[in-house]
Amino acid sequence: MTTLPLKDNTGENPSQRAQLILNHTSFGSVTDDILKGNECPKPPRSWYIALAISFSMMSMLGVMIGYLIFTGVGVWGNNNPVAWGYPIVNFVFWVGIGHAGTLISAILFLFRQKWRTAINRFAEAMTIFAVICAGTFPGIHIGRAWLAYWLFPIPNQMDMWPQFRSPLLWDVFAVGTYFTVSLLFWYLGMIPDLATMRDRANSKVKAIAYGIASLGWRGSMRHWHRYERAYLLLAALATPLVLSVHSVVSFDFAVSQLPGWHTTIFPPYFVAGAIFSGFAMVMTLAIPARELWGLKNFITTRHLENMCKVVLLTGSMVGYAYSMEFFIAWYSGEIYESFTFINRAFGPYGWAYWIMVSCNVITPQIFWFKKARTNIAIIFTASLLVNVGMWFERFVIVVTSLANDFLPSSWGMYEPTYVDVLTFLGSFGLFMTFFLLFIRYLPVLAIAELKAIMPEADPHGHGHSYNEMEGETDASAKEMEEGE
Amino acid sequence: MSEVPSTTVAREDLFGLAAEFTTTPGIYHAAEKTRAAGYTWFDCNVPFPVHGLDRAMGVKMTILPVFVFFGGLTGLILACILQVFTNSLQIDLWALVPVVGYQFEVSGKPLIGPAAFVPVAFEMTVLFSALTAVFGTFFLNKLPMFYHPVLKCPQLARATDDRFYLVIEAKDPKFSLAEVEAFLHTLEPESVIALEK
Amino acid sequence: MSSVNEPNQNNETGRTWWRSLDEAVATEETRTTAPGEFPEGASDLLATGDDRRQFLKIMGASMALAGLGVGGCRRWPKEHIVPYAHRPQGTMPGNPEYYASCFDFGGIAQGVLVTSNDGRPTKIEGNPMHSGSKGATDAFTQASILDLYDPDRSKRVTYGGEVSSMSAFKDWAVEYLPKQGKGTAVICEPSSSPTFHRMQRAFMKKNPHAIWVEYAPLTNTNEREALHHAFGGHWVAVPDFSKAKNILSIDADFLGAGPMQVQNTQGWSAGRKVHHGAMSRLLMFETGLSITGSKADDRFALSPAELLAVAELMAFNGTGISTIEGSAELDDEIVQLLKDEFGTPDLVVVGASQPAIVHSLAAKINERIGAVGNTVSYRQVANGSNATLSEVVAAMKDGRVTTAVIVGGNPAFDAPQELGFAEALEALNASVCLSYYNGETSQACKWHVNQAHWLEAWNDGTAADGTTCIGQPLIEALFGGLSASEFVAILAGEKVTDSHTLVQTTFNPNSDKWDPAWRTAVHDGVVANTKTIEKPPVNRKEMPLVSGVTASAQTVLFTPSPTVWDGRFANNGWMQELPDTLTKLTWDNAVLLSPATARALDVKQGDMLRIEVGGSSIEIAALPVPGTADDCFVLPLGYGRKFEGRVCKGAGVDAYPLRNENMWSAPAKVIKTGIMYPLATTQMHFAVDTTPGKGAQDRMPLLYREGTLDQYNEDPGFVSHIGHVPHSLSIFEEHQFEGAKYKWGMSIDLSTCTGCNSCVAACHAENNIPIVGKDQVLVGREMHWLRIDRYFAFAKDSHGAYDGDKLESVAIQPVTCHHCENAPCEEVCPVAATVHDIDGLNVMVYNRCVGTRYCSNNCPFKVRRFNYFDYFRRDPLRSTGLLQVQPDYYVKTQSGGKTLRAMQFNPDVTVRMRGVMEKCTFCTQRIQRVKIATKNAWVKKTDAQKKADPRVAIPDGSIVTACQQACPADAIVFGDLLDENSRVSKLHKEKRSYEMLEELNIKSRLKYLARLTNPVHGATVVEGAHH
Repeated sequence: MTTLPLKDNTGENPSQRAQLILNHTSFGSVTDDILKGNECPKPPRSWYIALAISFSMMSMLGVMIGYLIFTGVGVWGNNNPVAWGYPIVNFVFWVGIGHAGTLISAILFLFRQKWRTAINRFAEAMTIFAVICAGTFPGIHIGRAWLAYWLFPIPNQMDMWPQFRSPLLWDVFAVGTYFTVSLLFWYLGMIPDLATMRDRANSKVKAIAYGIASLGWRGSMRHWHRYERAYLLLAALATPLVLSVHSVVSFDFAVSQLPGWHTTIFPPYFVAGAIFSGFAMVMTLAIPARELWGLKNFITTRHLENMCKVVLLTGSMVGYAYSMEFFIAWYSGEIYESFTFINRAFGPYGWAYWIMVSCNVITPQIFWFKKARTNIAIIFTASLLVNVGMWFERFVIVVTSLANDFLPSSWGMYEPTYVDVLTFLGSFGLFMTFFLLFIRYLPVLAIAELKAIMPEADPHGHGHSYNEMEGETDASAKEMEEGE
Repeated sequence: MSEVPSTTVAREDLFGLAAEFTTTPGIYHAAEKTRAAGYTWFDCNVPFPVHGLDRAMGVKMTILPVFVFFGGLTGLILACILQVFTNSLQIDLWALVPVVGYQFEVSGKPLIGPAAFVPVAFEMTVLFSALTAVFGTFFLNKLPMFYHPVLKCPQLARATDDRFYLVIEAKDPKFSLAEVEAFLHTLEPESVIALEK
Repeated sequence: MSSVNEPNQNNETGRTWWRSLDEAVATEETRTTAPGEFPEGASDLLATGDDRRQFLKIMGASMALAGLGVGGCRRWPKEHIVPYAHRPQGTMPGNPEYYASCFDFGGIAQGVLVTSNDGRPTKIEGNPMHSGSKGATDAFTQASILDLYDPDRSKRVTYGGEVSSMSAFKDWAVEYLPKQGKGTAVICEPSSSPTFHRMQRAFMKKNPHAIWVEYAPLTNTNEREALHHAFGGHWVAVPDFSKAKNILSIDADFLGAGPMQVQNTQGWSAGRKVHHGAMSRLLMFETGLSITGSKADDRFALSPAELLAVAELMAFNGTGISTIEGSAELDDEIVQLLKDEFGTPDLVVVGASQPAIVHSLAAKINERIGAVGNTVSYRQVANGSNATLSEVVAAMKDGRVTTAVIVGGNPAFDAPQELGFAEALEALNASVCLSYYNGETSQACKWHVNQAHWLEAWNDGTAADGTTCIGQPLIEALFGGLSASEFVAILAGEKVTDSHTLVQTTFNPNSDKWDPAWRTAVHDGVVANTKTIEKPPVNRKEMPLVSGVTASAQTVLFTPSPTVWDGRFANNGWMQELPDTLTKLTWDNAVLLSPATARALDVKQGDMLRIEVGGSSIEIAALPVPGTADDCFVLPLGYGRKFEGRVCKGAGVDAYPLRNENMWSAPAKVIKTGIMYPLATTQMHFAVDTTPGKGAQDRMPLLYREGTLDQYNEDPGFVSHIGHVPHSLSIFEEHQFEGAKYKWGMSIDLSTCTGCNSCVAACHAENNIPIVGKDQVLVGREMHWLRIDRYFAFAKDSHGAYDGDKLESVAIQPVTCHHCENAPCEEVCPVAATVHDIDGLNVMVYNRCVGTRYCSNNCPFKVRRFNYFDYFRRDPLRSTGLLQVQPDYYVKTQSGGKTLRAMQFNPDVTVRMRGVMEKCTFCTQRIQRVKIATKNAWVKKTDAQKKADPRVAIPDGSIVTACQQACPADAIVFGDLLDENSRVSKLHKEKRSYEMLEELNIKSRLKYLARLTNPVHGATVVEGAHH
């Protein structure tokens, strides 16, 4: 933990480039400070406690899945009208969360948002773990999980192939690609930092482990040159990917013809929602992490404030989508469609709908106020609420539409069983376990990138005043765009 | 402070000489000078990409983007073939590959429905491009490479932390120990280190 | 239909064979209690005769076993494998055979045609040659095949609960039955079997002093009494609805469950087909809502007292004869309607629930309007009763009767409570009970003799119109057991007691096995020209105008359960899970009351009510049903069996305790207990004022289209004007099924469909559909491929809100897979497990399905069903608890009678495993069978003939789906749409024909024919139905 006071870097002074790294002027100290958590012989007790809890929850997930697969999908609450319940809700929820990471690393990178460097590493980690959680659910939710591989185009003696018109198959490819690309992105970004850890390793085991992981990276500028190019390309590829993945997930619903699912607004609406929930989750993780790992100098209030702004924006987009759905349902004059939406808000599942609205649309509005954007307690609560709200959004979409569709005779209510609930909680265990191991054993921030955005990193500016380097960086930025 | 390499390293084992800098301007100008001095077999080992250093060193633009383009193209074509072949054609390719196309009728849709094939085609394009981008870099950077004189030398460990090194390799045609050493000293480094193969 | 089989030959060996099967398929308990390791006479196996049919049976048995895969479970007695070298004439392994038979239900013989697969009877259809069936069946008939394989059926003779043997019983019968029948009382079910009556006479001849009583809880005693007054002797009325044009029904649910349901429905639906702009009209007065009421053109919910008034008005029509005691004032509206608007009926029918006086008045009216001999005839029935049940009980109590013999039936369960029959029976030290289950009555008796299923013994009977039927067995008795006739024969000390000889002797004392008349009768299942309905002589003694109806604030009415009848089907899983057409209730009975009464008592669905009648009371859940008369509480009988069967255990509440001498209604006191009870309905019951209720009301006219005859006459195409279908262009060219040989389609006529449920039961039997149990129905996982949707349409009040008290019409709509040409389910399946075949069937590939359930989500009709568990491995009745299955679910066990039940499976239909989706296939197995046969025939044709018929056309009507075959209303028609002249393509072209959810452009292959009603006030019904 740094003892130095934290400067307020949230000021908006155009003549002043805001300071993104506090209390550090030397590269060495940055490395030391960031790797403190990894290199200290014993992590704080709270880490052990958290890991113990998460791990037991993860084991519970294992038990639940075993019970499910040996007994049948009937152990869940799914029934005839509502054939998709918790598992798909959770799938969409986790995939949504998985969107912030790559978004931060890709889109913000392309937009030259320097502040991303402080959060992109563990945002990406979060993405990967979230996608792992997400991937679990479609796998186990099918009736004969042991045949899940039939969804992949593997040549087989039956000469049977998957059906490429099905959105579920698009999912397989979209989520699969997304996971692979995010993983590569994450790993590529981590190589130089792994090299750093290798060179600072205090034990043979670590040295070898990190040595292998860093592929013998030696910081050669000629490598850096290609490396940066590859990183830029990945960012350019990941940007449309991020947008496509949740669009495809939304096709699961939009392509069907169920009232409440069959709407063209779904892709943009889902993407906005995904970014929304993703950033909320990043903040939910960042706030405790920076406390625990003493990263306040890097993940500064300004970073949080920026994220709050994104949450405010996307939250409002989601709110717009909600209202638009209603408007169109009414405007279409289609009785099934309009009924579905009235029923959503005022029918048997109205409570879920209003939880969703209050958490997703009303809560973020507080971020119009800077006081709220800079108050850690408020940010944390709000981000938690947003996570809750986004889960309920998926619940509302999946369950209420299915519960009351075309024929009143087939209407039915859905109630989750204890297995549903424990499985969902278990997925958090899985997520947290991975995350805790990550912050302990891998570079939690992008060290090299952070150094690169320090004023000291600029080979032309000499002083450390921000005003001086202003024009310089812009110029260099321009050069980069010209494509060296 | 700067030791004399000739005494420490036998000539034939000499990989090259490294100059150590503490600031980015230092390494930047050093690189410019080295390039101006006509050295070609030199490199900088730095903890982070120092902005513009590659141009200062005169590194040529990498070919990686071209790789990636063709990678993406492959993905796209593969995706189209895969989907049309497996869903729309009733052909037997046993002669070539041990698979048989499968044609079936769903929802009264046309057998070749491009609209439905777009998402997968897109995803596979991205996937292949990304794979090429990453493994292309590894290939061009000759990574993984677990042995390298720079890695071997403990003094250069800080190249991944907070020091900047300029290494002129022995295989450089203009390389002569005395000259290079003298030249490096003109760059005002912290120190000059001889690297063993 | 194939040759007649005569399993009575080599009876001994045959029996041993089957007994060894019995043990193979027996449950744990038989295995443990079976005497010794080898069945008695197992050595006879070596002596298996050379009779070829015997071989067939053997093969049947072993194949059945092979199919069951129990070979490894246990040690077998030493057997000799006999090569199937000589195939019996006309049999082909794997090809089903069909045998005509009959069984007695409610005193009327039901004619059936039983499908036998390699020796296993697997499916029951109606016998086309039988006047009461004409090829159709009701749900009970469909389900009775499952009783044959019920693991809970009684498997042996017991004495005082201890295992005994048949021979021991026979000895006892000879030794200890009181001579001359002194102090002996025989209580039997009413039977239509001539053989049974012959045996009864023999018995009475031997025991002149014996008391003989016929008792069944649902016999129409009041009608018998009334007709006795009217004509003398014992008569039953046999209405013919096909001739009736203007029907008045006083609480007669003639379309509802009952022994004559099939022929009534056939007749009535014939009258509903529009001929030259005319169709029959049905005016219904009733207390509770029945399916007949729901199909009536004008219907009024009246209290019993008001019903009296209606009968009176019709009988005397203001001729100033003194009013019947107990009758009430009628609304002017009704008086008006009856006096002129409705005109004179040409048939008046009265429900069993009505007092004798009403029946007698009806007989009077029918005579006056000239219905007798035209729309209604009468038939004399044999009745051997020489006492009443109450007299017998009295005699038991004061010791005049020391020995009770009960032949079938279950009086200890269903006799009126106040008689105290069960107690009296238990007190006797000599009592015998022949019954199919070791149930309430058997447990009250010393001797229990297990009854043979009707498929296991020869029997005969009399159809409603008096035609004599012959019923041949399809399988040797699985667990021994006697038929009722055999049983009485033994008690009567007859020399020959095997059912075959008994029945044949009744048929013709000197006919032998080669008698052609006999063979024809057996083959046809009916004896030609034996109709005996007639116009009876009138020697009317006027009945006193006493109704026995005591007016009271609250009244309970007892109705037969449409699913378990009087309780005899209580252990039949199919019937328990069959949703009652109007309440959609499964696995329970509930007290039905009007929404207004429910509000008055402040109860909702599932609220437990305490109902007190006289001294006794029961607690039962309430289920508000619109259209019930206020302050009337309708109680379906037959549930709440004390018998601990796998299925019936804990299902429903026993309403018999409330019954007294007046069998059908009683003044009651009803109190809300405040306890809630979960009722498993397959359709949600929303209060009409909540959002979903309104939503349902708004869209109903689009989904279920109906109109009046007048409307139809002036604009036959009115159906197409209901709802608006935007004709949007497709972005791609839709598949046209070029080169398709056939184009299967179905048409369902909502006008004639009465919701009798026989199609649902038939589908259950044909397609190996599992039952899932109450807990699964509660979470909406019932598996019926074919379901019957029921909607209540309510009138709008002045504010335009729907008024739940104003029932306007009841929509009854069978829904199954529509086999859409643009099937939404298909495009979303990621593994192509559901695709279209060339004939345009939407096929479901079970073994490709991975169970994403996306297809179900995208099915607008929600007709797809998912196997959430291995339902055939999961005992549906054991309470599940935290671990939602039973331990034996995880091990491949054949315990719990699973093997026995498996003998019913249709070998042509896959038994689905857990995790796969399933749905209606249009009985693809039946389609294939006919297609193959037709093709084989085609191949043999000459080239010229082939050219003439390139399409290998299948003659219309040769493919019949299970639901269509069972349907008594002829509402379901299946066929080839490419054949211009097929019935189905004609119906699809009819003006009344419409597609459900046409606006989705799914191109259903199933189309509905809009319902036509013929109300007195033409316009009004339409008004409400089509906003």
